[in-house]
Amino acid sequence: MTQIARAAQIDCQHIRNFCIVAHIDHGKSTLADRLLEFTGTVTRREMKEQLLDDMDIERERGITIKARAVAMRFTFEGETYELNLIDTPGHVDFQYEVSRALACCEGAMLLVDAFQGVEAQTVANGYAAMDNNLAILPVINKIDLKHQRADEVAEEMEHSLGVDQDDVLRVSAKTGAGVQELAEAIVRRVPPPKGDPEAPLQAMVFDSHYDEFRGAITYVRMMNGTVRKGQKIRFLRAGMTREVIELGQFTPQRTARRQLQAGQVGYLICNIKALDDVNIGDTIVDAADENAVALQGYEEPKRMVYCGLYPSDGQDFSELRDALDKLAINDPSFEFEPESSEALGFGFRCGFLGLLHMEIVQQRLEQESDVDLVQTAPNVTYEVTKKNGEIISVHRPQEVPDLGDIEEFRQPIVRVNLLQPVEFVGPVMKLCQERRGVQHGTEYISTTRVMLTYDLPLAEVIYDLHDKLKSATRGYGTMDYELLGYFPADLVRLDILVNGKRVDALSVICNRGDADRRGRAVVKKLRSEISRHMFEIAVQAAIGSRVIARETVKAMRKNVTAKCYGGDISRKRKLWAKQKEGKKRMKSIGSVDIPQKAFMAVLDTGANEK
Amino acid sequence: MSDTAPIQTRQFPPPRAAYIHVPFCRRRCGYCTFTLLANRDDLIDRYLLALERELSLLGARQEIDTLFFGGGTPSHLPAEQLERLFEIVWKQFQLADGYECSLEANPADINAARMAVLRQYGVNRLSLGVQSFNAEKLRFLERDHTAGEIYQAFELARESIENVSLDLIFATPQDTPAAWRADLQQALSLSPAHISVYGLTIERGSTFWSRREKGVFASPEEDAERRLFEQAIDTLTQAGFEHYEVSNFAQPGARCRHNETYWRGGSYFAAGPGAARYVAGRRETNHRSTTTYLQRVLAGESPVAESERLAPPDLARERLVFALRMMEGVDITAFQNQTGFSIEEIAGRAVAQFVEWGLLSRTAGQLRLTREGLMVSDSMWERILAV
Ligand SMILES: Nc1nc2c(ncn2[C@@H]2O[C@H](COP(=O)(O)OP(=O)(O)OP(=O)(O)O)[C@@H](O)[C@H]2O)c(=O)[nH]1
Ligand code: SF4
Ligand SMILES: [Mg+2]
Repeated sequence: MTQIARAAQIDCQHIRNFCIVAHIDHGKSTLADRLLEFTGTVTRREMKEQLLDDMDIERERGITIKARAVAMRFTFEGETYELNLIDTPGHVDFQYEVSRALACCEGAMLLVDAFQGVEAQTVANGYAAMDNNLAILPVINKIDLKHQRADEVAEEMEHSLGVDQDDVLRVSAKTGAGVQELAEAIVRRVPPPKGDPEAPLQAMVFDSHYDEFRGAITYVRMMNGTVRKGQKIRFLRAGMTREVIELGQFTPQRTARRQLQAGQVGYLICNIKALDDVNIGDTIVDAADENAVALQGYEEPKRMVYCGLYPSDGQDFSELRDALDKLAINDPSFEFEPESSEALGFGFRCGFLGLLHMEIVQQRLEQESDVDLVQTAPNVTYEVTKKNGEIISVHRPQEVPDLGDIEEFRQPIVRVNLLQPVEFVGPVMKLCQERRGVQHGTEYISTTRVMLTYDLPLAEVIYDLHDKLKSATRGYGTMDYELLGYFPADLVRLDILVNGKRVDALSVICNRGDADRRGRAVVKKLRSEISRHMFEIAVQAAIGSRVIARETVKAMRKNVTAKCYGGDISRKRKLWAKQKEGKKRMKSIGSVDIPQKAFMAVLDTGANEK
Repeated sequence: MSDTAPIQTRQFPPPRAAYIHVPFCRRRCGYCTFTLLANRDDLIDRYLLALERELSLLGARQEIDTLFFGGGTPSHLPAEQLERLFEIVWKQFQLADGYECSLEANPADINAARMAVLRQYGVNRLSLGVQSFNAEKLRFLERDHTAGEIYQAFELARESIENVSLDLIFATPQDTPAAWRADLQQALSLSPAHISVYGLTIERGSTFWSRREKGVFASPEEDAERRLFEQAIDTLTQAGFEHYEVSNFAQPGARCRHNETYWRGGSYFAAGPGAARYVAGRRETNHRSTTTYLQRVLAGESPVAESERLAPPDLARERLVFALRMMEGVDITAFQNQTGFSIEEIAGRAVAQFVEWGLLSRTAGQLRLTREGLMVSDSMWERILAV
């Protein structure tokens, strides 16, 4: 009760809103732990590592996926401040979470690992924070590491981000060293929010999640005015009026308050059943305010990759739809729509923020429902201008029009920053050139580390560039990318035929110049993925009607149980029935059992054959 | 039985066959995962006691046509204990006229004393675990006999029992086509009534499995193994043997009737550890651990570890699969009469496809495996059984 009373007295001068941004694994969530502990928000007994990463999948993978907000109290020089922290994910797939957090804050704590130094996401997030006119709090973390090189890292930060080395704070989120100074710096260096608690209500919806019992929980940053329990509010964009049933702050669990006012960050519960009704970036105003002005919202997160998800047993279609519906409730960045394939039957085309996001969604689907999935190879979205002037967006290879109908075929190009020690520049440039990259810039961020900037087809970046970069740089290279737009390219659809029958789910779009090599690589890979059957299987790659590669899966030669007497009958019957059961995970296409892995085989680029 | 008998009894007449499992061997061969104890002859007496108990539960003495002593190695029992075994079994089963009574034997066990007991108790078919005549292959298989001992054993056995069958194994690392030909020729030179040839199967849990995993030896490639199998089929059929089941070859009139009961879906009694019976439509398997079996039976408990009764269509599919493993195949009309299901109903799609692919042939009302089908038949069974 006292807390609720006190909350009402906070004015903007005593509020600081900041987010923690960094490259993946540089210690954002761990530093958040220390701040929660230092401010007494969480007791030592309640503490656990990366407390804010409370989703199962976050704990399993040890990474943050969803941004989290927490309100903390900190008394400094006799004054009590409310510090609103937003911990953000570091992985590039979840970049949009960062951009939303940035729009809610006046300051950004830019964290850099004292050993790893400045990496690609450091630069990307640093610039994003500056673009949002946030005060940057440069922090070097992990100074407890034996091989820390904080001085050099400070230099790198100066070169790459233009921060003054003297402003760089040094902390250890592990030991807690420097956390007191950090908290003080937040108060001193992050400007208080502007906003007027007496002005008409204007609150920015920056996130939401679904609670089984309470429905949609709307996360807001209060820009102007005050919102109280029981007040009637209106979501401007959705045009929806609701009563505020509960409001409060995250501490980090939901804690009810009587009111939220300009400058604060918190949540609203107002009887919204479907998460779809809450638009991220919407503005909340008083229901009676006829002249209310919308705040500038956010751009929709961009789906970078698409893949088909099919139940391996066609019977499970509606079960899969239910599972996808359930998942989408808490992950609006993931989208899906029904599609069908000649080969795979009825399934869904799903859009993701990136490959990690795709992997996570799939893992959750598998954990939360028991539908066996067949996943098609991921692809990016293309654009085609047809001869008749029509422009279509191609989300899957099957949708590519006939060659003769295509006026222009365009693919998404991204600008990629690749950051690595100087000695790896050669191999990294080679990597990019092989992928039809166009060099855009080179920047030394210190005497030993170089950032290369290339414009590359998104398709080339998404599939394996990260892995290839890691192996070309002994793990030191990092990368980051942003979409530039769609540009014309000489693209073709490469089809795969199994025993003469085109398997639509195996088609891929690739550069004409790569088609031969890729076709060869794909059929070879497929040959090794498809096990021997009772008959011979021809696997061919074709462009249009022209076959460009062929491999044969030889027929099985011998598979017969020698001994089968009285005691073997039950056992063998069960064994044989089970073996077929195991093949249910595969897709049967014209009597050929194609294992799930084979649908990924089409990603084989044949790069090793060069 | 009259035509008015209820379907249940018509489908499951009382068994006319019995199997007795004797779980003892001198030592365990490296590829073997059967239910047996090596070096535990001290348990033979307890086993005989338990067997007697188990059999007594069957109630009144039954008349049967075929009886099979398998193992393990029944011939491993010393003459005196063999006698006790027969006394016990004979108390329960009465052999009908024209019966077949088989016993599995290892060549090293064959001696005058044992042969006298076998003859005395009416054993009229001997299945001799020869495996090979090749010294190196016998060593590899960890068998305890030499090629020379096989000849002696065979001659001695034949003095009292006409119907002797030989078991041979192929697909060991020693089996070049020439070596295998020599094995087959030597087997034929003895003019046995029956020959079984088994591709060496290495199962998880055998010492061979782990040795092969470690790369101590390699099994032949699929292609080579197939050629060896075909070589056996061609050689033996040319020598006048009938290839009547996947692994079994018989001189005219010398098929193993007992085993045919299994393959044709007939009922049979069984006793002993790990033994499987099929009585009144229920398949039961005794506990596979010999010691557990002994404990249970001697404590007056049931030795049954697994028991199942299949739904009629599944039963029909099972019947189809095991009957198709016989080379003469299945009489399509008789099948429907016996099971109440047409083949079309229970496996129509798969069967039609297999006929199209040349794996099954359908002639004169019979459905049977082709040579090609035989070779890949396990893959066919998967499709028939999983619906
Ligand atoms: N030695 C040391 N290790 C640290 C420190 N801070 C974090 N770590 C470790 O660094 C790893 C990553 O920490 P997280 O806090 O999950 O990093 P993050 O930046 O939140 O990662 P993402 O949210 O996935 O981008 C964990 O193993 C932490 O224990 C530190 O100050 N010193
Ligand atoms: S003799 Fe036969 S039953 Fe005994 S261990 Fe050897 S293979 Fe197995
Ligand atoms: Mg984190």
